[in-house]
Amino acid sequence: METNETDNMLKGFFGEQKQEIADNGFSKRVMRKLPEQADRSWIVWVFAIIGMLTTLFLGFYTGLFQNAQFVLPRIPVYYILAGVFCFPLVGTIGFYFTQNKHYRLI
Amino acid sequence: MSNTDDIRWVAQVALLGDKTAFDKLTCKYQSSIRRFFLNLTVGDAPLSDDLAQETFIKAYLNISTFKGISGFSTWLYRIAYNVFYDSARAQKHYDDIDEQVIDNQHHTLNEFSAEKMDIYKALKILRKEEQTAVLLFYMEDKTHKEIAKIMNCPLGTAKTYILKGKEKLSVYLTQAGYGN
Repeated sequence: METNETDNMLKGFFGEQKQEIADNGFSKRVMRKLPEQADRSWIVWVFAIIGMLTTLFLGFYTGLFQNAQFVLPRIPVYYILAGVFCFPLVGTIGFYFTQNKHYRLI
Repeated sequence: MSNTDDIRWVAQVALLGDKTAFDKLTCKYQSSIRRFFLNLTVGDAPLSDDLAQETFIKAYLNISTFKGISGFSTWLYRIAYNVFYDSARAQKHYDDIDEQVIDNQHHTLNEFSAEKMDIYKALKILRKEEQTAVLLFYMEDKTHKEIAKIMNCPLGTAKTYILKGKEKLSVYLTQAGYGN
């Protein structure tokens, strides 16, 4: 039998037997069996507050906010971009090295 | 639901321990993983559900090791493959299960039993590696490359498993009068 013919026959055969299996509570059973892990959503808030406080501090300390209308138009765009990307980047790297658990390789 | 959704959910689970995101991943992939096990265990529905459950729990525990190089689905099948072979090694008698026992299981536990008998009989003529490769290729629509990753073997070896499985099944199905 030609290879393509065989392929088509097997695709047809397996295609006919392919079934979608209804969940029937399977996902819930899995969720119930999952081990408890600490809720780490606080990390988002910690970094958000640190970022906001740092911005406020630097803004007032350097006089940026007081003279915003004169200073802001002169700041190069890539300075602003670097500032925006700095916190999540540092935060992610920090998180990776402190929280990443090394489970047995699968 | 795209692969972008998968990456987003994986990130939520890995970084924030968000179980709701993992529930979405479980709902999305439960059918294909359970079907994969159901075929590998030639219709043993309770065993395939246990193995699928173990697969998802392992995926949850190891999600931080998912690098995103291959798709989440491929990574999940890789875990499923390992879970199945760990289980098969633990139950050496697995291959010697009496056919009558399987028949009984089909009739009592699996609602699709009548139509599925052909495929289970056909799969039983293959070696375990050939079964896995053929199922992944023809039923789960995985590419050769993905199958090699899932089975952790060279691409050529994965192709050989499929080819050998194909040859055996071709002879079996032709003799059984399929496609006439």
